[in-house]
Amino acid sequence: MLTGDGLQARVRGGHRLAAWPRPLTIAVLGGVLFLSAFIALMVGTLGPIGPGEPEEISFSEAIDAIFTKAEYHWVFWNVRIPRVILAGLVGAALACSGTAMQAVFRNSMADPFVIGVSSGAAIGASVASLLGLSVAIGLFAPPMLAFVSAILAAFAVYMLGSVRGKVYVDSLLLSGVAVASFLGAMVSFMIYVASQQFHQLVFWLLGSLTLASWDIVEVLFFPIVAGAVVVFLYGRDLDALLLGEETAHNLGANPESLKKLMLFVAALMAAAAVAFVGVIGFVGLIIPHICRLIVGSNHRTLVPAATLSGAVFLIWADALARTVVAPTEMPVGIITAICGGPFFLYLLRRSSSGRGV
Amino acid sequence: MRMDIRNLSFSYGSSKVLGNVTFSVRDGEFVGIMGPNGSGKTTLLRCMTRYLPADGGSIMVDARPLADMSPREVARVFAVVPQSSATDFPFKVEDIVMMGRIPHISSRLAGRAKKDSEAVHRAMERTNTLQFSDRPFTALSGGERQRVIIARALAQEPKVLLLDEPTVYLDVSGQFEVMDLIKRLNKEQSMTIIAVLHDINMAARYCDSIALLNQGRLEAYGPPNEVLTADAIQSVYGMDVSVRRDPFTHAVYVMRRPSSTSGRRHGTRVHVLCGGGTGGPLMRLLLDGGYSVSTGVLNVLDSDFENASDLRIPVLAEAPFAQISEGMHAENLRLVDESSVVVVAPFPVGPGNFRNLEAVEHALRSGKKVFLLAPPQGETIDFIGGKADEYIKRLISSGAIPVKDAQEMLDMISRQER
Repeated sequence: MLTGDGLQARVRGGHRLAAWPRPLTIAVLGGVLFLSAFIALMVGTLGPIGPGEPEEISFSEAIDAIFTKAEYHWVFWNVRIPRVILAGLVGAALACSGTAMQAVFRNSMADPFVIGVSSGAAIGASVASLLGLSVAIGLFAPPMLAFVSAILAAFAVYMLGSVRGKVYVDSLLLSGVAVASFLGAMVSFMIYVASQQFHQLVFWLLGSLTLASWDIVEVLFFPIVAGAVVVFLYGRDLDALLLGEETAHNLGANPESLKKLMLFVAALMAAAAVAFVGVIGFVGLIIPHICRLIVGSNHRTLVPAATLSGAVFLIWADALARTVVAPTEMPVGIITAICGGPFFLYLLRRSSSGRGV
Repeated sequence: MRMDIRNLSFSYGSSKVLGNVTFSVRDGEFVGIMGPNGSGKTTLLRCMTRYLPADGGSIMVDARPLADMSPREVARVFAVVPQSSATDFPFKVEDIVMMGRIPHISSRLAGRAKKDSEAVHRAMERTNTLQFSDRPFTALSGGERQRVIIARALAQEPKVLLLDEPTVYLDVSGQFEVMDLIKRLNKEQSMTIIAVLHDINMAARYCDSIALLNQGRLEAYGPPNEVLTADAIQSVYGMDVSVRRDPFTHAVYVMRRPSSTSGRRHGTRVHVLCGGGTGGPLMRLLLDGGYSVSTGVLNVLDSDFENASDLRIPVLAEAPFAQISEGMHAENLRLVDESSVVVVAPFPVGPGNFRNLEAVEHALRSGKKVFLLAPPQGETIDFIGGKADEYIKRLISSGAIPVKDAQEMLDMISRQER
């Protein structure tokens, strides 16, 4: 129901702010996440058991598979569960990183990739597949190279966008665009040269969770959770930063070191996620955006809300990726872009009356 | 609380923005920082909050150097209200005010404590913003938004409230809304206030002291009536002003002096008989038209006397409330003789200045052009029981030309010129 005040707020501000208490928000989203993960476990082809065959399993079969040595036990524990967890982790990392980036840039159009993380990772992945590193060194070599080159690209953008150690977000944004298009051209060139590894590379560029394993979950779990906790702990400072750097300073925060810390953490989270699963777009842009519309901009609520929602969103997107074209699967990046693009445009149109939120 | 600023300097690159600024602020004082654009006002505020690093001098707060404090401690000394606070991000008003507690919350893990919520509530009560609590900040009007920002500053529980032209983007009612709120906080909570202000009269009205900056130097510091002199304003703003007293507050009141340099001067001398403020616009119009103007006889303290002095017009004046003396009347007749036109404003005629009408008669007798301006519709100028009205009728019949307003008078004088 829209009360008088709410209506007025919607008319004047373009939207109404729901007064959701933080514990309730987090509890509800936590429940949704758990439920989504469970449902995602049950859908899709079962891969290794009957190669390529779609299998429907019931709720009780799924429970059995998880907790007893039933028929699908091995698949569940070695394929499904790590994959769902990985989807959740990657979604959480991208959404949390996007939230931090939007605060640093004071721009709700910013995403985890504005400082060149994705194009940097793409370079690393391209070089790795061009040289056949996964065969020569090991399965973890390409993601490691992608991670390192993502961080290098972000660092290059950071150096280009700062003057005498001070970060200027406008020039950061511009150097991000420049570096991304330069690296993008190099990736295109490598795709052109490397026709043999073409398929593998494109699959990575489109973003896919096919390679999920416990090893990857183990590598990603700690950095992503720690990153999200750091962003959460600096929530109040991020609130202040959204009102401008001088205001943040006047409220006792240190905007320069805050920006640097947040850029570092956000780049790290995004690079780690992207290195393993490829470029999954839109999650880091639309999830923080939607959460902000629902819970407001208070980061002590927004950061956990966006992180959990990102996890939920990517778990569903991946479940969809595994089912829509079964028995094969679609790169999840296509799903997120297909869902995200139009929905984002809808939001943009809707809020254009209330100025760019 | 006592704050001492000593020799504060700041340079941006090689250009000195602030040089050796020194002054002290008492507890509960309302200090206005004034000066033309680019004189270093905002820079001074930013050096106080350490947003900009001063490259010389010191700031002591209660005998403690500000330089030794942590950023959070500084944020507990100064709270800042900027010119405007716009954000496209959806914050509830209460969230904005709660930000004022950031320098008080010691642990990142801590949630909001009871004393934080109380401080926020108190701050919103004082600024009358409680009713907006759950509204989006973006949905408020400019004046409401500044009140919310002031609430945030109060929630900071600072020792000093710094304001940087807090009313510059507000309409008139918003300006008074905000200034009255600040004044109330200053009076009732004895909050120390340092505000950059643009409007000289507003500053004179609200401030206990004024710091007048010019090209990064402190030109003067002290009570408004000592600092805001016509000479100081001329040298700092390069503006020709007259300084008067606000009739209700006796605060210094600054008015731009009309520029009498409209180019052509054509020697034609016009003598104006006026009083009670009726002559101000007339004299200005005549000066703008290039005439030389004189006036008399007025009483010192009469607003036309002030007008004439501000316009630097020769003026004959009696002591306050005194009758026109024989000697002064003779002087007046001499000025009439020296001019070629006499203009009579619809001034109130009483026993004290009746002789000014006799001067008109003298002018007619010696063949001068005389113009009589009609009083505003429905108003009388006769305060001696019909004697003045009767006299004026006689003047008209002996050749004085009645005109309906100053413009018509000007037209007729210039026609006569040609």
